[in-house]
Amino acid sequence: MDAVEAVAATLWPARFGKAIPYLLLLPAILLVGLLVLGLVEIADSSLRTLDTSTFLPSDYRTLANYERALTEGLFRTVATRSLLGAVIVTVLTLILAFPYAYLMVRTRSAGLRKLLLIALFLPFFIGQVVRAYGWLIVLGNQGMVNEALGLIGVAPLRLLYNYPAVLFGLIQYMLPFAVLMLAPAMTAIPEELESAAQSLGANWVRTMFHVVLPLVKPGLVGAGLVVLTLSLTDFAMPAILGGGSQDFIANAIYDQFFRTSDQGLGSTLALLLVAVGSILAGLVFMIFGAGTLASRGARR
Amino acid sequence: MTMPLSQRVVFWTIVICVLAILSIPTIVVLGASFTAGNIIAFPPEGLSLKWYSKIAGASDLWRAFGRSLYVATVCTIVAIPVGTLAGIALAKYRVRFETPIQVYLLLPFTIPLIGSGIGLMLLFGELRLLGQLWPVGIACAVINLPFMVWAVMASASGLEPDLELAAANCGAPPLSTFFHVTLPAVMPGVISGALLMFILALNEFLVSLLLVDARIVTLPVQIYNSIRSIITPDLAAISVIFIASAVVAVVALDRLVGLEIFLKSK
Repeated sequence: MDAVEAVAATLWPARFGKAIPYLLLLPAILLVGLLVLGLVEIADSSLRTLDTSTFLPSDYRTLANYERALTEGLFRTVATRSLLGAVIVTVLTLILAFPYAYLMVRTRSAGLRKLLLIALFLPFFIGQVVRAYGWLIVLGNQGMVNEALGLIGVAPLRLLYNYPAVLFGLIQYMLPFAVLMLAPAMTAIPEELESAAQSLGANWVRTMFHVVLPLVKPGLVGAGLVVLTLSLTDFAMPAILGGGSQDFIANAIYDQFFRTSDQGLGSTLALLLVAVGSILAGLVFMIFGAGTLASRGARR
Repeated sequence: MTMPLSQRVVFWTIVICVLAILSIPTIVVLGASFTAGNIIAFPPEGLSLKWYSKIAGASDLWRAFGRSLYVATVCTIVAIPVGTLAGIALAKYRVRFETPIQVYLLLPFTIPLIGSGIGLMLLFGELRLLGQLWPVGIACAVINLPFMVWAVMASASGLEPDLELAAANCGAPPLSTFFHVTLPAVMPGVISGALLMFILALNEFLVSLLLVDARIVTLPVQIYNSIRSIITPDLAAISVIFIASAVVAVVALDRLVGLEIFLKSK
């Protein structure tokens, strides 16, 4: 160990001490740099149109892809479908997540709290494909719901491959994110405030609307923006539960790359989506500060 | 806190619905994997392990699972040093340009996954790296890196800086201080962060889908490709791998840091 220390001391004299944190950060900065390089690649590719005679991207650069992406009816339909879907998913997810987070934070029972936490984390770690697969089994034409309906003589319903199925899958996917973003904001509200409101004669509905909701608003806004971004840009749920008829923007991008092989147009759509996503993320930062990752620990 | 009855009814109704929505797919996949029938049916046609014995011989599924394990291992090996050093730097040192650096390090979360995936696909294509598996591991490390940094930061900020000063004061040279004081203190964060990275890479779907070709599909991609054609219970049996690994992850996370840490207000 002494020898190692000696080598380290010669290579890195104490007066270089100030550079240590930057040196520690360097690998992470380089690794994330791959994403930045990827974005540069997307931007470059978005400026090249598909040459229909050779099926290669053009050598010259043009904004033609942007014009197509913004004017073609197909992409407008897909964009509207994704945006509307994301908004519906966000509202419903928040409505469902609020009582869950509230009960989880306020319950006196440690066991119940643990159960609610485990129910949140398990699906998060199971992954989207397996969860969507579970819904295929439940909702499919020969799935559990339709078999059960058949027993009481109801003709099979088409529960899959439609818009509500995709939205339902998305809500299920987003619930853990929403609850986990709401819970800390909920914890920060002193319970005495609610007791005070109630002892002053407010019923629980008024206490919720006039005391809890305003105080938990930053958490709601944050959770809402995260859910909005994630569901707007999701690929798996529209692909699996929508069965190709309910494409969101991410599916349209995938198709441009792997079906029509129009890399330029696909890149253009991807870059536009990244821009929208960044604006939403920027809003989160503006509201919460970039310290989402930060902590108030002691530093030197 | 005692809730009025009406509030209790409303809240509990919603919470039970949410619990059902969250757990039904998992329970159903588990149940389907033990079915004796050929088509997934309700009510189930009796219990059997036949789908497990069927997948035992399905070498393509096991190869896909092996590839997923490889990707997750590469991802974790890359993420541990990179995320640990960055986490320590951000938690323990005063860094100039801290806010821009944090925003930059959060890029993997703020860029939509489809954007990150397409970007890495184009980049790796340019570098002639497509068609191999290890770049998929690197990609998984990039897109989930903030989890690793966050886990390490959370435990590093709990370490008293005085401890490190004390070690130095007792004559410990910088590297010894790092290995005997700093590193053990952040270990819980490193382990839980590594666990997160491993599990998330194991079931990463979209980025895998974009970066692999038909010869080297990972297990989530294989399942995705299969459920688009026909739904048979053998996929349920293989999906149990993901459920089991998720259970392990949740238990380990609970032991290491306690799930309740996610309820703390910042």
